[in-house]
Amino acid sequence: MKALIRRLSAAIVIVALGALPVRAQQPLDRSKIPPPGKAPELRVPTWTKATLANGIELFVSEKHNLPLVSFSLLVMGGANQFEAANRRGVASLTASMMSEGTTTRDGEALSNALQLLGTSVNVGIGSESGSLGFVSTTAKFAPTLDILADMLRHSTFPAPALERLRAQRLVQLNASKAQPGAVASRVFPKILYGTDHPFGQIVTEDTLKAITRDDVVAFHKAYFQPGRATIVVVGDITPAAAKAAVEKALAGWPAGGSKPAFAYPALPPKPPTTIYLVDKPGAAQSTFAIGITGPPRSTADYYAIEVMNTLLGGMFQSRLNANIREEKGLSYGVSSMFSFGKGPGPFRAGGDIISAKSDVALIEFMKELRGIQGSRPVTDEEIETSKASLVQSLPGMFGSVTSIGSAIGQLWLQGLPDDYYQQYGAKIGAVTKADMVRVAKQHIDLDHLAIVIVGDRATIEGPLKATGIAPIVVLDIEGNTVK
Amino acid sequence: MPIPTRKLVWIALVALASMAAAQQPPPATQPAPDVIKISFESYALPNGLTVILSPDHTTPTLAVTIMFHVGSKNEVPGRTGFAHLFEHTMFTGSAHVPYGLHDKLTEGVGGGNNAGTGNDSTTYYETVPSNYLESSLWLESDRLGFLLDTLDLAKLNAQRDVVKNERRQGVDNQPYGKVGEILARATYPAAHPYSWDVIGSMEDLSAASADDVKNFFRTYYVPNNAFMAIVGDFDPVQARAWVAKYFGDIARGKPVVRPVVAPATLPAERRFHYEDRVQVSRLYLEWPTIGEKNDDQFALDVLGAILAGPRTARLTKALVYDQQAAASVSAYQNSNEDVGEFMVVATPRPGHSLTEIETTIDGVIAKLKAEGPTAEEVQKAIAGEELSFVRGLESNLGKAFNLASGAGFHGDAGYYKVSYKKSTSVTPADVKRVANKYLTGGRIALSVVPNGKPDEASKLPQSKKVTGAEDTPRPEVK
Repeated sequence: MKALIRRLSAAIVIVALGALPVRAQQPLDRSKIPPPGKAPELRVPTWTKATLANGIELFVSEKHNLPLVSFSLLVMGGANQFEAANRRGVASLTASMMSEGTTTRDGEALSNALQLLGTSVNVGIGSESGSLGFVSTTAKFAPTLDILADMLRHSTFPAPALERLRAQRLVQLNASKAQPGAVASRVFPKILYGTDHPFGQIVTEDTLKAITRDDVVAFHKAYFQPGRATIVVVGDITPAAAKAAVEKALAGWPAGGSKPAFAYPALPPKPPTTIYLVDKPGAAQSTFAIGITGPPRSTADYYAIEVMNTLLGGMFQSRLNANIREEKGLSYGVSSMFSFGKGPGPFRAGGDIISAKSDVALIEFMKELRGIQGSRPVTDEEIETSKASLVQSLPGMFGSVTSIGSAIGQLWLQGLPDDYYQQYGAKIGAVTKADMVRVAKQHIDLDHLAIVIVGDRATIEGPLKATGIAPIVVLDIEGNTVK
Repeated sequence: MPIPTRKLVWIALVALASMAAAQQPPPATQPAPDVIKISFESYALPNGLTVILSPDHTTPTLAVTIMFHVGSKNEVPGRTGFAHLFEHTMFTGSAHVPYGLHDKLTEGVGGGNNAGTGNDSTTYYETVPSNYLESSLWLESDRLGFLLDTLDLAKLNAQRDVVKNERRQGVDNQPYGKVGEILARATYPAAHPYSWDVIGSMEDLSAASADDVKNFFRTYYVPNNAFMAIVGDFDPVQARAWVAKYFGDIARGKPVVRPVVAPATLPAERRFHYEDRVQVSRLYLEWPTIGEKNDDQFALDVLGAILAGPRTARLTKALVYDQQAAASVSAYQNSNEDVGEFMVVATPRPGHSLTEIETTIDGVIAKLKAEGPTAEEVQKAIAGEELSFVRGLESNLGKAFNLASGAGFHGDAGYYKVSYKKSTSVTPADVKRVANKYLTGGRIALSVVPNGKPDEASKLPQSKKVTGAEDTPRPEVK
């Protein structure tokens, strides 16, 4: 009774405000799904562009609701472009070495200064791009930028620090070999691309041990150049103030360098579909990584692939997860994705599967991969949900200063047009069911898959073999063939 | 402590939320008063549901979160892991919501959903475009009001399998994965509500019955045990009307009886070693401390930041930089609602033993206890909190967790202001005091070593071998 009274009084308030009709007296019919309200307008952030004296392009996007500013200096190209095959890991070590001291501040002084500013400068170099950046309160923007510039321009790369960092990396690498997911992520690219291709080269004990201080200094010099960099500033700052601060901090950074060509070598021939079983005795689960080399971000099939993969393994209610987790209970979660970039990043489907059901799961993975290629037709509801989940997630990309910064940065890194986000809905909307089937067939070649499974060989080898899906090659945790 | 969740992505979101909840600016840089502020209104429905509304029109999205004040500590021995297993059943559909629709109306419209279970609470959420508020409230209210109408043993069994796989993935097949449950067992006496880990045991997960689900639901999933926050791009007048419409007729439940939680103390050190499928040994030191109802948590948080993290932190400097005996070290206070633990975890470099590392840790802590930290150390420890807090305000979901947990645990959705102020007021004397009060000889020292290498354990002669939580002896009750 009380609840009813409360609801009535709430309705009275609403009527008084003239906002809503009276509905409370009618019995609530819960069987009807409340329809959505009017779709909100997509509000894509705007930004200005300016060119600094040394040629760097500066993007500034204003957002004044909170006293925050994010700064990112992005570098086009990454470890795949700038590391030698026998020095894999030098990019990451160089990034860490930039916190080890400058000509005027040693490592502790840098750390103390940043702690007192309440922030940190993060340097990261990935496979195809790198960044040097921070988020600060508005008041701390200029002093933090000064420290970033000092790290960029005046790092001293002390040799003892390299030895300490190298030792830490070696322990991390060793520890990771007990982690099935980490093992799968090392073996999978090696199988797909081979060690002659940058995508197949991984950091090993040998490459880490080979890196010298000279390598670090040379990498830093070659890599951080204005000609391949851009700066994105987002937040509580005006374009004029941002430009003045950045010009001041980076005034002495001389022009030079150019964007890398991203010229990757040809991919190795793909062998027929094979199961690569990495033995992990006693494992309670089998870690699956099923995949193939994929297309670059510039492919004309990008939008169709996104819609197709969302349905296949990109959502909780994707076909893979709905089947293997929710219906069959074989896993805590399975998924699939394409790693889009400048090069031929992989398609990868997988997850962690209860050991005793590894064969069942493999059969289901293959069934869903065949299904998306036409044997299980895409329904109207499936394509609409996949599209809506992609298009309507756009506003979530513009919520924070860092997410806006990366949304802008992606346009620059991938060479996308300024109105990319405005056009996104129409591009996704144009994808048809036939497109989905076509790109699934074209980009997930079922006859040439690498099926990497890290698990307990004694339990799973026989059942996997009995599926007849593919021959089995047994590997050690480094990805080398076991006799 | 890992928080078992419906889906993996939760972990990052919780980190974001705890960043927002974790407080503290430096005295030297007091932010403008309006920065540390979340505008909200809070009220209760007659059935006891607490509702918090916090409009923020920055992006056309919103978050709905509902926290139930029930977690693994409400379980009974023999049913460990049940609160989390139950959480999974909340996604299997309800009387008017067929299975799958919940995902379709959240993830399928560009948003998301998930839930997480901890020792003390279970929290569900939806993130959606701002025109999907009404359907989100319809979804949440239907499972609160009508879950049992469609829940059957088959649905329970399906989620039981999923949760067992979650345990395999996060515990059994994970290096160092069993540490949490070994420490819980070693710290708290039998039947103590914190003496088991949230994920529970395989045996107990197998034993959970459909009747257990019904009883648990009727006891704990009642409006008077729920705290809902709506944050983002919505009209509060409209939201109030919809909340009343969908939640108003759900009956109030009986008052929830909370478990009596005795504080934990260990009269003496307890030493264990555990052989695991790991490549590298690791040392865990754990002191029973206090939970988040006790204001010592703020000084313990600062103590953690002074001991480990940046290269100038005492343990990090000593172990990783000066002696170079460790590859990494961490130190932190974990505050649950009623109890907590202070942890130090260190991984050695080759050629350095856990015994050596433990000796260094003890020396660094003894010095800090004797001398206390410097004013600058405390200042640095809390200097980052202004930024963390303001960054937390960028997320609807982070704010929603913050407001709902304040209401649920402290009876005040605006508790973050109290916590922020207390964090910023921590002094060197406070840190010295809590270090002396809690970092005593009564602790657990657990070495995790590679299989077949028990001699890598710290101070092996004094250490007892355990093979998991099952044979870890419980502490003696005073």
